Amino acid sequence: MRARMTPAVLIFGGLIIFWVAFTPVVIVPTYVIPDDPSETWDARTELEQRGREVYIAEGCTYCHSQYIRPQDWGIGADRLAKAGDYHQDAPHLLGSQRTGPDLSQEGGQHTNDWHLAHFMNPRSVRPDSIMPRFEYLGEEDIGALTAYMQSLGGVEADLRMAYQYKVRDDVIAAYEAGPDENIQYLHEQVPPGWRPLPNPYPATDASLSRGEKVYQSFCIGCHGPVGDGMGQASEWLYPPALNFTTIRRNLWEDKYIGGILYYYIMNGVTGSAMPYFKHELESEKIWDVSNYVAKYFIDWDDSNMEPVGVHSARETPGEGENSPPAREVISE
Amino acid sequence: MSAEKRVDLEEKLDRELDRDLQSDGPPPYSAAKGFIVSGAIWLIVGTTWGFIGALEYVAPDLIQNVSWLSFGRVRTAHLNIVAFGFLTATLIGVALYCIPALLRTKLFSERLGVATMWAWNAAVLVGAVTVSMGYTQAREYAELEWPIDVAVLLAFVLILYNMIMTVVFRREKNLYVSVWYFVGAILWTSMVYPLGNVMWHPKTGSMTGTVDAIWLWFYGHNVIGLLFTPLAVGAAYYVIPRVARAPLYSHTLSIIGFWTLGLIYTHIGTHHLMQAPVPLWLKVIAGIDSFLMLIPVFTVLVNLWMTARGHWVNFFGTAAGKFVFAGTIWYAVVCIQGAFHSLNFVQRVTHFNNWVVGHAHIAVFGFAGMIAIGAAYHILPKVCGRKIWSPPLANLQYWLIFLGLWGMFIALTIGGLVQGNSWLNGESVYRVLPQLTMYSALRVMFAIMIIAGALVGAYNILMTVSRGERIEAA
Repeated sequence: MRARMTPAVLIFGGLIIFWVAFTPVVIVPTYVIPDDPSETWDARTELEQRGREVYIAEGCTYCHSQYIRPQDWGIGADRLAKAGDYHQDAPHLLGSQRTGPDLSQEGGQHTNDWHLAHFMNPRSVRPDSIMPRFEYLGEEDIGALTAYMQSLGGVEADLRMAYQYKVRDDVIAAYEAGPDENIQYLHEQVPPGWRPLPNPYPATDASLSRGEKVYQSFCIGCHGPVGDGMGQASEWLYPPALNFTTIRRNLWEDKYIGGILYYYIMNGVTGSAMPYFKHELESEKIWDVSNYVAKYFIDWDDSNMEPVGVHSARETPGEGENSPPAREVISE
Repeated sequence: MSAEKRVDLEEKLDRELDRDLQSDGPPPYSAAKGFIVSGAIWLIVGTTWGFIGALEYVAPDLIQNVSWLSFGRVRTAHLNIVAFGFLTATLIGVALYCIPALLRTKLFSERLGVATMWAWNAAVLVGAVTVSMGYTQAREYAELEWPIDVAVLLAFVLILYNMIMTVVFRREKNLYVSVWYFVGAILWTSMVYPLGNVMWHPKTGSMTGTVDAIWLWFYGHNVIGLLFTPLAVGAAYYVIPRVARAPLYSHTLSIIGFWTLGLIYTHIGTHHLMQAPVPLWLKVIAGIDSFLMLIPVFTVLVNLWMTARGHWVNFFGTAAGKFVFAGTIWYAVVCIQGAFHSLNFVQRVTHFNNWVVGHAHIAVFGFAGMIAIGAAYHILPKVCGRKIWSPPLANLQYWLIFLGLWGMFIALTIGGLVQGNSWLNGESVYRVLPQLTMYSALRVMFAIMIIAGALVGAYNILMTVSRGERIEAA
């Protein structure tokens, strides 16, 4: 006997099967998922909410996720997403693509002037970015969007922001005191052990080439093609990026700069637009770009200086000014 | 229904047919023709918008500070135009021809059908313009604002009414499987659409928190699962036996395929949230049912392929047959892929990147879109009483879209694997971007082929309905 499909079977069967399937997977979760805020959840201010509306209108959610997954250790998964982080969010903005970075913990990672430069021209601070320019939004909406960015991460974002603001006055004061005073101030913020530290990587041609590549992808937007701090982003940043050429007369103990450069590339200059790069650049890349900056912009390369210690098996002695310092040790 | 009542109905229908022929109402199949022609035109717009978005991946400064061409808005417009302007419209057009044809009757109200067609196109146009202006609810596939949701829902309800009344006034007693799928699609979507768009919250169109994500992905997945899929499967069930000139292989497989589709597809939305903070039991249901999806998919495919078996030569002779047959192959590819990347250990690589974009393109365009175009070519001569203007052009369109889509799928899949594996290896998102450029550039090139296919297709369809050689009435 053939099972007959009559209009009644089709319509009532269709209705029944839909509701039987729909109820357990959509209706039930709606009532059983607790609606409690997480320990970092924070209510949004009016401005932050306005920024969220701009974020929605511009479709930011199609390229930026807002949750850290268990496998995201590489982007610095300090905190995995919890349901309570999204308390009262309507609509949710979890996102389905990560063409750009995750933003769930963006608050306080960058300063407001960095965000301004980034929204006006993303490539001015992130040369490899493919994000659209948002200059058309105008000052007010960019301000709101920035406030929203700085709120992402809740209570932890607020703490990061508070820390940025705490240091910011000092950073600005140092910049306004003059170039030499500024560098002295920056030197003093570096832990003493890092200051008399030469770059342990020889500034070979290979190292300098790698450094150039890193500089072009990470630094050139603000510090500029000649390292004078007049990159594309400079018109939006305050204080502007450091002019490297002024370091030449302010070397630590008149000779060291490698360790200080490394420290600032790793950690950023908190309170200024200079971000930290320790999640994005491995140790060797930071030393290489330090060599590049030292060699071409400061015109002072400390990578052959004492203390040298025992070199890694990677460095072989050679001829020329950039050859590894091990050369002298071996020739003795 | 008693015998006398049936005779009464048939007489009533005959009277109406006579009246229609005398009246100045729209001729039969006007609504189907309108949906198909407008779908072909929307495909040009939709693929062009996709091309602009793809271009912005490679050359982000090419278009500067033009708000409505900013990527976030272009993507939304592209998605809505292709999904609703082209795909849903074309398939509804096919259904509005097939249902009366299969039931040996006419559409219950051609006038209502034509009105719905205009309302539908107005909704798509207003939707595309408003999302381009930044009026969006930013929930994937549910972006349109509330007033447009109302118009879309109204259109679905009117189409459902028209379909059901056509079924009621039918002369053919048995309902062929295509009719189940067409009516099922619109019946389910008339519920999925308002539920998924959370239309009782007009301002945000959303629930709150992670619960909203569950509602959205129930909806996002069932726009594919309970709208595009049953419409396309219904169309394939109509076209394949006709092109093959062979009876359908199995009634039992049709029954199993239809009911399991409604039961299982509805469950799997949460497989979009496998690494998100939603309850584990929901992820388990979604994961298991993603594999159970192979039942409704392969009962249909085995049924269709066994029907076509031994008659392959009939498919290669017509563009319509090729389009629909290629669509069934894509259906197999996309559903096997879908089942496997619902597994957590696959998804930790494929999630969040271009792999998913590739998957979505072969689902919407490769599977449902190819079948829609093929079915439109198949029925168009009956719909407008004219021969296809140029079969070679239809053939050209097939190859442009077929190769363009394969190329795009492969480029996106490789690009996605590069992204996913780099992230899993600890690279930051920013550092992976330069690695993506080559695949993004390839996508732009393949997008050009697809736009060319859309242009050729729209030209051919417009010429067919306006200047095709008239078929003498038998």
